[in-house]
Amino acid sequence: MPVIETRDLTYRYGEGTPFCKTAVDHVSLAVEQGEFLGIIGHTGSGKSTLIQQFNGLLRPTSGQVLLNGKDIWAEPKKIRGVRFRVGMVFQYPEHQLFEETVIRDICFGPKNMGLSDGEALSRARQAARFVGLSADLLEKSPFELSGGEKRRAAIAGVIAMDPDVLILDEPTAGLDPRGRDVLLTQISDYHRERRNTVLLVSHSMEDIARVADRVLVMNDGKAAMLDRTAAVFARGRELESMGLRVPEITKILLLLRERGYPVEPALTVGDAVAELLPLLKGEGAAQ
Amino acid sequence: MMKDIMLGQYFPGNSPIHRMDPRMKITLTFAFIVFIFVAANFEGLALMVALMAAVLLLSGVPLGQYLKSLRAVWFIVLFTFVLNLFYGGGRTVWSWNFMRITDGGISNAVFVAVRIFSLILYSSVLTFTTSPTQLTDALERLMKPLKVLHVKVHEIAMMMTIALRFVPTLLEETDKIMNAQKARGADLESGGFTQRVKSLIPILIPLFVSSFRRAYDLAMAMECRCYHGGEGRTKMKQLHMSRLDAAAAACSALFCAGVVYCALRFPPALR
Repeated sequence: MPVIETRDLTYRYGEGTPFCKTAVDHVSLAVEQGEFLGIIGHTGSGKSTLIQQFNGLLRPTSGQVLLNGKDIWAEPKKIRGVRFRVGMVFQYPEHQLFEETVIRDICFGPKNMGLSDGEALSRARQAARFVGLSADLLEKSPFELSGGEKRRAAIAGVIAMDPDVLILDEPTAGLDPRGRDVLLTQISDYHRERRNTVLLVSHSMEDIARVADRVLVMNDGKAAMLDRTAAVFARGRELESMGLRVPEITKILLLLRERGYPVEPALTVGDAVAELLPLLKGEGAAQ
Repeated sequence: MMKDIMLGQYFPGNSPIHRMDPRMKITLTFAFIVFIFVAANFEGLALMVALMAAVLLLSGVPLGQYLKSLRAVWFIVLFTFVLNLFYGGGRTVWSWNFMRITDGGISNAVFVAVRIFSLILYSSVLTFTTSPTQLTDALERLMKPLKVLHVKVHEIAMMMTIALRFVPTLLEETDKIMNAQKARGADLESGGFTQRVKSLIPILIPLFVSSFRRAYDLAMAMECRCYHGGEGRTKMKQLHMSRLDAAAAACSALFCAGVVYCALRFPPALR
């Protein structure tokens, strides 16, 4: 059974006013338990509106969101429970930090779940370990941390709730290349270790190519593609027509293929080397 | 949810009232407010109401908007109306126990109610037809004489402009922070009073922090563009008085003279 399923999900902003805009347009899709789903789409394509319906921050104009087969709006009063099971990390999550110490901030979510202090604390420690925050940082004020550390503390605050589904909206935006690498590795380690479902929204095709099992492409409020990562990025021309692109390395291989070379569009540099080396060796032998 | 709050009241348009110089609009609005009080009888007040009706129609703003602006003062008007009803001389029209309503009281109540409504409507015309930037610009110019008294006119105007500019930004920020904390299970809706005040902490602290961050960024950006206060600063949009403004001023002067005439010629309405 899919962990999240949407049926004809539609969301309109400002309904009944002249400024009415359909942000999500009859989207039906299924996110499988345990998968790592990448979500891409240009600005204003409806990605953010879509994911905010997954944890009930926005209520659909029409259609349904099912979590483990149950409509999350069946009992509107219990929507808070849905938010504990579908954890959401917003863009620039460091802007949400408020407590006196980092560890207390990470505990905010678990405490809201009604856990005891001890239980919340042990979960917070574990979450801090996942994102690589060292123990000496935990007693500091969150406002003393560096930008990257703040980001990781904020992500830990959501991971500490131990959600079935973790949604991250552009978690690497504004980080330096090293910070991006480290954070992405931590997220995929977390996914592998916990075996839960992760949804990652990103504008970086390289990031998506590196970590996602499947990719959802949003365009004009519609789900334009939902397929294995390699299959989505093989449709480079279509993606470009939607204002997106494919990873640089994939593009090179796609261009080679257009010229008649027998290569598959690889997603990472390592895979590309594996594709190209035999080809080069073959040519060397021919000469 | 936050975005639904109406920001400012400016109603874009191209009516003669919109095209008037904001300085003239502010000056005339002040004059009208004064003359609403100079008008001591129904004859004078009728002149002010007639002028107001003309201005409202000319402004091209839907009349429903004006009605909405009156909604805010409904209660005050009702309160003064009822209060005035019982104070006034003249013939008794209705009495019960110690309560007594006279024809003078009724006329007083109506007179005061019309006064308050006119006040609100005149100021609504100003805010509906003038954008916030135009308003602060005009205020800066009008307050210039206060420089003699070492009032920092330019700085005050700049602060007002910046404050207005950041209202929508901060609302958006609040919305984002509320969503982020709700996603962590913050409960903003239920609980008693103290519980609710406490639940605001996770929203207010990040909001303060980000306001300061924005203030620093803005100060830096202004300094990078060599901002050094109002000294020698020119404006991209110069304010110009036109024939339209002259006509409006002349017309208003005529009505105001009429009000003064009525005040001298007819007996006062309040008894």
